Amino acid sequence: MQMLETEVLVVGGGATGTGCALDLAMRGIRTILVEKGDLTHGTTGRYHGLLHSGGRYVAKDQQSATECARENAVLRRIIPHCIEDTSGFFVITPWDDPNYGDRFLAGCHQTGVPVSEIPVAEMLRREPVLNPRISRAFEVPDASADSFLATHTVALAARNYGADILTYHSLVEIIRDGDRVVGAVVEDLRSGERKRISCAVLLNAAGAWAGKIAGLAGVTVTVVPGKGTMVAMNHRMVNTVVNRCKLPSDGDIIVPIHTVAVIGTTDVHVPDPDVYGIEPDEVSFMLEEGEKLVPGFKQYRALRAWAGVRPLYKDQDVASDRDIPRTYKLLDHEARDGVAGIFSIVGGKWTTFRLMAEEAVNEIAHRLGNTKPCRTADEVLPPPNFEHRSYPAPGGAAGHRTDHYWLGKHLAAVEAEHAYGDLICECELVTRERMLAAINSGASNLDDVRRDVRMGMGPCQGGWCIYRTTALLYEQRAEPDGVSRQQALADGAGGNADRPNAHFSIQNANAALLHFLQERWKGMSPVLWGDQMRQARLDELIYVGVMGVQRLRPLAEQGGGLVTDRPEVATEYVKA
Amino acid sequence: MNYDTIVIGAGIAGLMAALGRAERGERVLVLAKGHGTTHWASGCIDLLDAGDDPLGAVERLAAERPDHPYALAGAAALERGLERLRAACEAAGYPLVGSPRRTLLLPTAMGALRPTVLVPATMAAGESRQLADGRPTLIAGLRELRDFYPPMIAANLRAQGFAVDGVYLRLPPTDRSKEFGPMIYARLFEREEFRAEIGRQLAEHVRRGGYARVGLPAVLGLRRASEVVRDLQDRAGALIFEIPTLPTSVPGARLFHALEEALRAAGGRLQIGSFVQRGEASDQETGEGAVLVAVYSEAAAREQRHGARRWVLATGGVAGGGLRAEHTGELRETALGLPVRAPASRAEWLAPRFLAEGGHPVFSAGIAVDAALRPLDAAGRVVYSNVAVVGGALAGFDPIREGCLEGVAVATGYAAGQL
Repeated sequence: MQMLETEVLVVGGGATGTGCALDLAMRGIRTILVEKGDLTHGTTGRYHGLLHSGGRYVAKDQQSATECARENAVLRRIIPHCIEDTSGFFVITPWDDPNYGDRFLAGCHQTGVPVSEIPVAEMLRREPVLNPRISRAFEVPDASADSFLATHTVALAARNYGADILTYHSLVEIIRDGDRVVGAVVEDLRSGERKRISCAVLLNAAGAWAGKIAGLAGVTVTVVPGKGTMVAMNHRMVNTVVNRCKLPSDGDIIVPIHTVAVIGTTDVHVPDPDVYGIEPDEVSFMLEEGEKLVPGFKQYRALRAWAGVRPLYKDQDVASDRDIPRTYKLLDHEARDGVAGIFSIVGGKWTTFRLMAEEAVNEIAHRLGNTKPCRTADEVLPPPNFEHRSYPAPGGAAGHRTDHYWLGKHLAAVEAEHAYGDLICECELVTRERMLAAINSGASNLDDVRRDVRMGMGPCQGGWCIYRTTALLYEQRAEPDGVSRQQALADGAGGNADRPNAHFSIQNANAALLHFLQERWKGMSPVLWGDQMRQARLDELIYVGVMGVQRLRPLAEQGGGLVTDRPEVATEYVKA
Repeated sequence: MNYDTIVIGAGIAGLMAALGRAERGERVLVLAKGHGTTHWASGCIDLLDAGDDPLGAVERLAAERPDHPYALAGAAALERGLERLRAACEAAGYPLVGSPRRTLLLPTAMGALRPTVLVPATMAAGESRQLADGRPTLIAGLRELRDFYPPMIAANLRAQGFAVDGVYLRLPPTDRSKEFGPMIYARLFEREEFRAEIGRQLAEHVRRGGYARVGLPAVLGLRRASEVVRDLQDRAGALIFEIPTLPTSVPGARLFHALEEALRAAGGRLQIGSFVQRGEASDQETGEGAVLVAVYSEAAAREQRHGARRWVLATGGVAGGGLRAEHTGELRETALGLPVRAPASRAEWLAPRFLAEGGHPVFSAGIAVDAALRPLDAAGRVVYSNVAVVGGALAGFDPIREGCLEGVAVATGYAAGQL
């Protein structure tokens, strides 16, 4: 068994875990992070993408509201390329308590959430499809954030500071020496190989899975996995985040993000963060709620539905899961449970990931005798290389910063680089160059590529790009220069070209294709009707009819560094 | 103008029906919203994914499943329809080869082998028996065509025991800098200087690799494919065969053009861009359902009325747009509002796995018909006495999973043309 040694072992490759890894590495603390799937494989990659202003928490959870308001400003500064400055509205519809408006305003003032009431006419001028029967509207600095990109950005910075980030490494055992955690055994899902990692401190940042991880160390952490279902609509019917102005509830927010608008969410307690389905009535309910904000909402084309599990930490008995505070908590298991060398950072939300990391690392650094201060709020982080170079919005809308993401960014890049003929994913404007960069940044399956560049997330849900990306993956991995021996001969390179990589086979590529087709099906099937049903049938005609991929099942097997059939990475289970 | 027959839908089924009626001397109009699924499919004629003798399998299927469109149209209609289609393609200079008594296995753009029955002569040299003759095959493409990947195709064929290499050619100089879809290539291949450069590169590969045949993406010309393939064979010094790409399907478009030419030659008319959205029944009751006297189409934001004595509905299934699945759990027939036989609720529409063996129940939904292909309601009564339903709009089969998309279109279209 391979032996590794580190000061801190972080468990969990979501926003919190990578944030902790960066903070630790910046302070010069040797760090290894393990994640059982890809970065953002858990809840970070499965939320609607709201950068909270704090407005949603001003009435019931004021500490969270204040934290959000502060971190909102910090994240805009350090990862501007991940944030679209959409602004946000809280609106009172005829179905909402009209008295909540004053309570909301007062709450914003108490918690430091910037807010201003705007005339309904002004709201309708900016967002004409909103319900004209809305009686009041408040503007807050909500925004939409690309949590995939942000996590990759943070991870890249952490690596540059010396952290080791091991994705597709599943924690199988936590090793204790008496009352002290001294390390862990992890399995590399790509090879099946096990590694033993010794550490001074294990930091459990596994979010909704934190209870399972703590259990491996013999301590109890009660995390209530609160399933939230979201639906992506193929239209940005609003360009501003729109919240119902009421106590947070189901289906009360629309977030415009990239090419889509996401409506969310539900909140259903599930017993296991790995096993849940999406119920048809959840989807129907959210579409009905969408109608209240945007009349005609149901007529828009729904692209896909998915669910994430909130990492709600249950400290004491609370009436309903939505009443569990959305703030976070650092658990020192030595003080709490008598087991040294392990901490859990639980609860919280994406917007506060940096703050959670700061608090956890402050405590751990102190224990390790490290006195360096936290610098994560100050250092601007560069984007990873599969991201387009920056093409600022023409002119820059008044008051908007040009280093933020904007909807036209990818199109501007494609036009500036004359790359229209080189689009591998037309729906999401992913060029060959970006696709290859995503494949070569360590993708272990096509779902990783999707998270990096949104391949397969547009209206065709992969109809064209799954085939193309599979082929590019094969060419890149089996023939490392993307050039076969035959091709090298053709290009006049003689016999000097690299021999095809014996470790990656066409069977591995076939497995990647079949795996991702099913991943997309899981996302699409809860919302298949109308045009999207027609699209799904066209995709079936392409893959089953024209390509005959079902005939390749005997020629498909996991391997070659890919992870395609391990249950550890399948998070959404369609109900049997 | 009043027509004898109006056909709604311009896929293979609709065009076969229209051709049949026009050849019987009727005044025929085809109204279609757009092109059918023909332009998305392989351009081959699949009969049934069931063993070595497809026609025999169709006959057995018809005996076992009396509601299957093959049972209603009959194997004889299938055979005669295939002959009529073959003749139309022959006349267009685009011959089909194969026999309904023999399954051909052709490579796909994934490198899988898929069963089919009639194939354009331009694809024939890729048949699996030929690939297995011990002589090496080259798959060649162009990087700029993003819908075809020779290394992956070759690797999958090698994994199935064939001697195949894959290579990218260099794109000859063109005046295009942006879009390089299959249809664009089809036009480029009709240019002699483009072919000369491709042919030169192919000849070099053939000389060095001793290839007996070369597989290329199925974009070798639109109207003059046979000529393009012959020319490339001469230049390359090896047999050339086409492999269908991601849509748009150039071979599908060629089938459409062949049938369209045959229809026009027989005096029929074709009007694309007319979306039929409702019908008008006469007041008279026939005892055998109502009589459809007119339909209304929308084109250029204007409603137009079309009258005819008899009608063929060939608007396709969910993919073709003839059926639309509603959020409420209903399936709607889009042109005439006919009753649809479908699973009882949305919960029964789909299987949990995309590649589930039996496919997804919702895609076997459609219009139930009697032996004369007339639409029936839930109680089994004829809805319109003068309407025949053909092709993908029919209930009780899954054309993609059963591998009978074109076969059922030909059989039912031909049958409706003769009724």
